[in-house]
Amino acid sequence: MGPTKRGTNKGEKSKKRKKEEDEAWVYEEEDNETGEEAAVPNAAARDAEKNDQNVIEDEFGSKDYRDQMILKPDNASRPLWVAPNGHIFLESFSPVYKHAHDFLIAISEPVCRPEHIHEYKLTAYSLYAAVSVGLQTNDIIEYLKRLSKTSIPDGIVEFIKLCTLSYGKVKLVLKHNKYFVESPYPEVLQKLLKDPVIQECRLRRNLEGENDDLITQVQEKKNVPNFTSNAPEQSGDGVTSVPEDITNFYSKIDNEEDDEENALETVSFEVNQEKIEVIQKRCIELEHPLLAEYDFRNDTINPDIKVDLRPSAVLRPYQEKSLRKMFGNGRARSGVIVLPCGAGKSLVGVTACCTVRKRALVLCNSGVSVEQWKQQFKMWSTADDSMICRFTSEAKDKPMGCSILVTTYSMITHTQRRSWEAEQTMKWLQDQEWGIMVLDEVHTIPAKMFRRVLTLVQSHCKLGLTATLLREDDKIADLNFLIGPKLYEANWLELQKRGFIARVQCAEVWCPMTQEFYREYLVCKTSKRLLLYVMNPNKFRATQYLIRYHERRGDKTIVFSDNVFALKHYAIKMNKPYIYGPTSQGERIQILQNFKFNPKVNTIFVSKVADTSFDLPEANVLIQISSHGGSRRQEAQRLGRILRAKKGAIAEEYNAFFYTLVSQDTMEMAYSRKRQRFLVNQGYSYKVITKLSGMEENQDLMYKTREEQGQLLQQVLAASDIDCEDERMPGEGVRHAPSGSKKIGQMSSMSGADDAVYYEYKKSNSANKHPLFKKFRY
Amino acid sequence: MADNGSSSTSAVLSLNKFSNLECKNLHDYLRTRPQNILEKLYNHPTICLAVYRELPELARQYVIRILFVEQPVPQAVVASWGSQAFSKEHVYVSKVLSELSVWQEASIPGGLLGWILSPTFKKNLKITLLGGGKPWSMSSALDTDNKARDVAFLDSYSLERWECVLHYMVGSQQQEGISADAVRILLHAGLMKRDEEDGSPVITRQGFQFLLLDRHAQVWHFILQYLDTVEQRGLDLVECLTFLFQLSFSTLGKDYSTEGMSQGLLVFLQHLREFGLVYQRKRKAGRFYPTRLAINITSSAANKSAPVLDDDTHKGYIVVETNYRVYAYTDSNLQVALISLFTELMYRFPNLVVGVITRESVRQALRGGITADQIIGYLKQHAHEQMLQDSRNPLPPTVVDQIKLWELERNRLTYQEGVLYSQFLSQADYNVLKEYAQTNGHLIWSHKEKRTLVINKCAHDDVKKFWKRYSKGS
Repeated sequence: MGPTKRGTNKGEKSKKRKKEEDEAWVYEEEDNETGEEAAVPNAAARDAEKNDQNVIEDEFGSKDYRDQMILKPDNASRPLWVAPNGHIFLESFSPVYKHAHDFLIAISEPVCRPEHIHEYKLTAYSLYAAVSVGLQTNDIIEYLKRLSKTSIPDGIVEFIKLCTLSYGKVKLVLKHNKYFVESPYPEVLQKLLKDPVIQECRLRRNLEGENDDLITQVQEKKNVPNFTSNAPEQSGDGVTSVPEDITNFYSKIDNEEDDEENALETVSFEVNQEKIEVIQKRCIELEHPLLAEYDFRNDTINPDIKVDLRPSAVLRPYQEKSLRKMFGNGRARSGVIVLPCGAGKSLVGVTACCTVRKRALVLCNSGVSVEQWKQQFKMWSTADDSMICRFTSEAKDKPMGCSILVTTYSMITHTQRRSWEAEQTMKWLQDQEWGIMVLDEVHTIPAKMFRRVLTLVQSHCKLGLTATLLREDDKIADLNFLIGPKLYEANWLELQKRGFIARVQCAEVWCPMTQEFYREYLVCKTSKRLLLYVMNPNKFRATQYLIRYHERRGDKTIVFSDNVFALKHYAIKMNKPYIYGPTSQGERIQILQNFKFNPKVNTIFVSKVADTSFDLPEANVLIQISSHGGSRRQEAQRLGRILRAKKGAIAEEYNAFFYTLVSQDTMEMAYSRKRQRFLVNQGYSYKVITKLSGMEENQDLMYKTREEQGQLLQQVLAASDIDCEDERMPGEGVRHAPSGSKKIGQMSSMSGADDAVYYEYKKSNSANKHPLFKKFRY
Repeated sequence: MADNGSSSTSAVLSLNKFSNLECKNLHDYLRTRPQNILEKLYNHPTICLAVYRELPELARQYVIRILFVEQPVPQAVVASWGSQAFSKEHVYVSKVLSELSVWQEASIPGGLLGWILSPTFKKNLKITLLGGGKPWSMSSALDTDNKARDVAFLDSYSLERWECVLHYMVGSQQQEGISADAVRILLHAGLMKRDEEDGSPVITRQGFQFLLLDRHAQVWHFILQYLDTVEQRGLDLVECLTFLFQLSFSTLGKDYSTEGMSQGLLVFLQHLREFGLVYQRKRKAGRFYPTRLAINITSSAANKSAPVLDDDTHKGYIVVETNYRVYAYTDSNLQVALISLFTELMYRFPNLVVGVITRESVRQALRGGITADQIIGYLKQHAHEQMLQDSRNPLPPTVVDQIKLWELERNRLTYQEGVLYSQFLSQADYNVLKEYAQTNGHLIWSHKEKRTLVINKCAHDDVKKFWKRYSKGS
């Protein structure tokens, strides 16, 4: 959408932002600030689910679609069913699976993809994405009809038409540094030009004697950038009976993707550069959202940078496919690419930068990942230190003249005073016209934060990268219109089968609460409950057992705990290094280096700071002892820490392990079920372990006796309220905790008979603090 | 069902463990018949053959070895035929042979005990093996049927009839009803019971379990229940049984004459016709065709031989996914009804049903008396061919585990009847009684501060007596 988002905050009604219970990663956002609704076309609000409201239920309580569709006689050789509410079911064992899968990925969102039957869902966004990569309304309907085992319900045809007819028809193209609104459909442009607002935005070069004619041009076939893939396209699956119309049509669609531009006639008019943002907004209101495309080959103003992929960088088939979607017609489309963690997202990012060959800006969400991106650039491309500049609070390389800049979201959106040096860099950064902006872990940033980035930085093309396009608050939809549609989403299970990511055994270990802990759990108030089930001695023992077991196998283990009290207690008790919020950058890197290279450090404890972007390719065991409520995304992100394919362990059935420890009969069980939904839908299955064999015989595990457990219980009960809460990330806002704590205990414990200590917590009154310090927790 | 011979046996075996639905095989059934009936039955060579076929392998060996020996064989000699390592098997088959009155004990001059085959059994087994005797009563001396029925027709007919019964049980309305006789059998078998309010039959927990059995086991169980009632109807049990056995040896697709059948047998035939075991165009047609349901009915599921019933009419149709989704390729209301017993159904397409197994839906089924093993057994038995590619576990192991865990979690509380003792006058009294109860293992619960005890109910009298003695003594 071009460098245009500057100050779109007009006339939108203010919206209070509710604190989302499930959302782990909430950036600082003040309540009184004027929020704004994302500018989203009306059609996007359409929902096929509504088609479903007056469907009769049959006697067994299922929605009965039988009278809405007619079974085709040759249904056995066709792979899918389409329900009137937009859900699509695809047989993965069908001979035409591959064709249908590629097609469905383009037009719909995957809901769940286990082994045999996959479910997809048609949404307004997915259809928007489909047209933006060049599919036509009629082709979508026609192909869907041919693939379906039954006739397609009328409601669905209607829905597809509604969502696609007006989308993707007009593009905003930057060519030779002039903005054009371009379309292959003259009638659409005529319609737009009748609108007074748009007329104002139109730029007429030679006013004298020129009438309203549009610029007509014939596009030549472009040379589409080639991405090499190491897996040859396998053909020859024509053995099974595939209805002919499917194969014919598939090859037609397939070819279309490549030859689309072959002598395509387009019409366009030029747009006044200052009015870009107005026209974009107006077009959305007119239900013709402008697709942003960057014709980087014809951009002569911005200098090319001298970056190429190294010959050693070989793209995997799915990486190649995702990039083909992005550069399908020789121009760069903005959009989001979804790949599992560890499947090589950074290589996709690096390749995209090397293809555009203009100045590139990479945004990620922590200092550690800035370093890692730099490493990736040096590994995969010919870029060297002089070309890559890091811009973080710790590392400030000289930015001027560099071609790739790596920084964090918070550096860009920082609103407080900066150092002079940083100020200069920011200024320079804002003056640049960036060729491509790569947004790492794009799901973590809320729309508002993202908008701020867009107002500050201008780039021609945006590429979002993420593993989980998923937020508990459904804000993800906004990204579709802020960055662009989802271009590609990989199938986790398929990548796992082909060895691109590790084969993970997921397990949920049930730890029974000890009697004493459970009694306290039942009587005490909510905040302390969390601490009680995290500190359950049986859980501690299970953790210790698992760590020992895997250390003996020579595995590298990461233990996650959201709760800092538990994190410290576990780590100190077991004498292992730990990283959490307050750990300094230097110490973090030192611990991570040790974990990577020191054979004596095989286990580290981390808090949720390590959820994303900590690249730890060595780790293959993950133990989760406390987590943030029911966040599906956190679960997926954490799994991602051990997904990187492991070398030399092909022989085993599983080469990575993911344990979640839950205390039985507590809230944790329900949370855990909720968290797992995303991964379960990706085809992962959780094995429930009710008893770790051999744990009882193991004599030297801690907290074996009642006395030790009692002492632990006293410590837990003595812990303050802040200890009970999950770690909050800096900038997440300050919650006011009561400054004293009241404990229920017997007189004997208070006097120290049970080894309890009387604590008093003094809390400084944060109300008197300078606003600058507010974001730090005291 | 060619591919699940092993799984269906396991279903039957596991059923035997539960007292809920008792499913007898031929051996169990005959064993419980009185001696004189067995004797009558053995007059028919067909029955002898059927019984012989169902004997354990070792027993068949014994029978063949002594078939032509006209005097008792010493028991020690029989025992010496097998290796010592298998003495347990020997004892078992000896018991089986005696229970079925295939052989009997006889004393040998010299005081030893020996075995001799029962004379009727011996005579008639010889006839079946060697030929001779009267022709089997079911003659096929008929002129050709001008409206002959082929096997495919018979299959679909029998399936339709049988499903009528099952449909009636699950209470789906779309099908035609079944006769009052059939309803009576269902009630008698305890598969359905009269509703207390309106008296209409409703399905029982045994009924649910029955539905999850495989077709062969269902028919066999049903027929056994039917046989229990034949005498009340004035039919001769032996006659009916004999006919049933003859039927089981008949040829599929061939027509047989009703000539020479007694009045009672003709009534029996009409009943079999209703359940789909035989086909008759008209009641008075004079000829009938046995269907797959009848053929081999007496052979147990374990050694089903070639012509298995509904070989190709029913392929596996259920796909279970790791995310607890269930996809069933079916348009049959009955199958949908069965799946809905333990899944929450979401969508219904013309040839597919989409559902999901949830904790609630499984608990619902468990409450209805279905066990986790039965659910798993059913899913396994009807697993889609795609699922069978991983032959070790056709179902996702996590789903299987979870269903079992859901069953287990219902059994976490145990109940124990007890008697509360409270209001002790002194701590000492309390202590004495507690001590006594504890040493005898009757104490269930105690609270020191409140001076209360809960004592096992069955020990109440004993503790009371002790308390009287104690309070007198003090």
